[in-house]
Amino acid sequence: MSRKIERLINLTIALLATKRYLTKSEIFRSVDGYAGSAETMERMFERDKDDLRNLGVIIEVGSFDPVFQDEAGYRIKPEGYSLNLGEISGVEIALLSLAAEAWRGAALDDAAHSALTKLHSMGVESDLDALPAISPRLNPTHSDFQVIALAISKREVISFSYLSAEMVAQIRTVEPYAIATRNSHWYLAGRDIEKNELRTFRLDRIDGEISISQIGQGFDIPAGFDVFASLESDELVNIATVDIRKGKAHLLRVVADSCVDKGEWEQITVRYFDHQHFVDQILWHGADVLVIHPSALRNQVISALEDIVHFHA
Amino acid sequence: MHNSNQTPLSRTARLLDLVPYVASHQGIEIAALAQNFNVTQPQIISDLTTLWMCGLPGYTHLELMDLSFDSGFVTIHNAQTLSNPRSLNSEETIALLLGLDLVIESLPTERSDLRDRARALVEKLSARISINAKLTAIPSAAGSVRALIEDALTKDSWVEITYHSSYSDTVSTRLIHPLELQLEGGYEYLWAICHSARGLRVFKMDRIQKLVPSPPPEAPLYAVDNQAEKTVYVIRVHTRPRAAMERFSLDRDSLSRDNEILSFSSEWVMRSIMASSGSVEVLEPSGLRIEIVKSAQGILDRYNGH
Repeated sequence: MSRKIERLINLTIALLATKRYLTKSEIFRSVDGYAGSAETMERMFERDKDDLRNLGVIIEVGSFDPVFQDEAGYRIKPEGYSLNLGEISGVEIALLSLAAEAWRGAALDDAAHSALTKLHSMGVESDLDALPAISPRLNPTHSDFQVIALAISKREVISFSYLSAEMVAQIRTVEPYAIATRNSHWYLAGRDIEKNELRTFRLDRIDGEISISQIGQGFDIPAGFDVFASLESDELVNIATVDIRKGKAHLLRVVADSCVDKGEWEQITVRYFDHQHFVDQILWHGADVLVIHPSALRNQVISALEDIVHFHA
Repeated sequence: MHNSNQTPLSRTARLLDLVPYVASHQGIEIAALAQNFNVTQPQIISDLTTLWMCGLPGYTHLELMDLSFDSGFVTIHNAQTLSNPRSLNSEETIALLLGLDLVIESLPTERSDLRDRARALVEKLSARISINAKLTAIPSAAGSVRALIEDALTKDSWVEITYHSSYSDTVSTRLIHPLELQLEGGYEYLWAICHSARGLRVFKMDRIQKLVPSPPPEAPLYAVDNQAEKTVYVIRVHTRPRAAMERFSLDRDSLSRDNEILSFSSEWVMRSIMASSGSVEVLEPSGLRIEIVKSAQGILDRYNGH
């Protein structure tokens, strides 16, 4: 095994150091580790190229002599191989370190750690003292988080089983656009292929493994796509007028668009997106909130209250 | 230590990353190197031995990398070709992008200089992997506050918080004993014994501005531990099982049965039942059933104009 690894390292060094394309025969002659019949070496080289590509090393194929294009040559361009973040300061390294640390114990811990190793290999001292003492943490999430992250960057369609509100698992096939987290939940947004609509999924509602679908790849992600903005687009907005008792129901007051003093009560207008969710929110505040408008919402609250009385009486 | 550290490919990746790391940390101890790469010391020595055989074609001492680690301290020379760290892969870039967004949100607002720098880094990195969607990470509560609360919950200890109350729009300092974190309407709440208010209080997590661990109060007015007894509630899920499962942290397989839940606060249980909009019923204690009917009927009466 060591021999194989040595050969891969030596091949990388040779292809990185060369200023021109190296032909296969030059590689077999000069790079340590290639031995045996022409066929054996050929097979070795094909496998080695695949292995290096799997490690993310970009091997360019070209010809060093544009006139005689008979034999292909190979090289690794240093600018593609090495990390290049341009001018970078100790403070920026510290910010990136903090970003990587946020993953400790969470889904991309390993990737964040290897990124950190690379950043700390740049020879720029991290200037952590320049940052305020914060230690942001990302919450643990679905164990297949990496699958989603990679699928987004490779534009691969994924499929998974998703629990409906009725706890029925349904297979969803999605072009993943972005992942995001808020209030300790992780969300995946993308185009649900079957429904041909933009949908958002909570990762903790994904049941079991996430797999790469064979349907295909190469979709476009809308430029500047933002998960939370898509959840709260103007098309989906509803406006309610509710009375809230003074000094109570702060949750609603802080999101109110307007507020009118009515003595013991205040009348606010508030935007909401999901009817059921808003009814739940109103009832959480019990006798401190009263829906005035729209009547559909008012009726929904009344009927929920009747259900509550019915079950508990 | 993962088995995946031992495949030829992962070993090759590690060797490629070892060279620039050692080159920028000349004289690093083998133990520290092993720890950073999350492998055993014998593994690192074996890695270094393999590297020792590598270099430019020719492979005389002029071309081979010059490694020394006999003393327990590692140095590397003649390794210019590999001495720049490898570029970040997509997974690493995504990890940094989400992490950076969280860092931006967690930085104090007055440090716009740092926020701007972090945003510039986001742009730099996004361009590298052609992800044109925004990767967003909004902290549920200030990162440090959350970590300390979790710590206090595990250790069953007291903390002093600086809290902005939207009720009175004032900032106060309170000595509290955290009991339970609850999620409601997308916000996190902390239930705690508040020594300053002499009772059970609820705090919205994102309104806790500062938090420091603190010794328990010298003279609690009452024995806190007796107050903090959890009560058993029995509930039945009628409809919307997923919402109930998430709200009450129920086990997926037991949704069709009656469930026992434990809580410090009957107020929380009552509000949660109300906010389930008739999809969840409390079976026990019966006293709470009576209270719920009273409350719901009271609100209905108001809607009906009584």
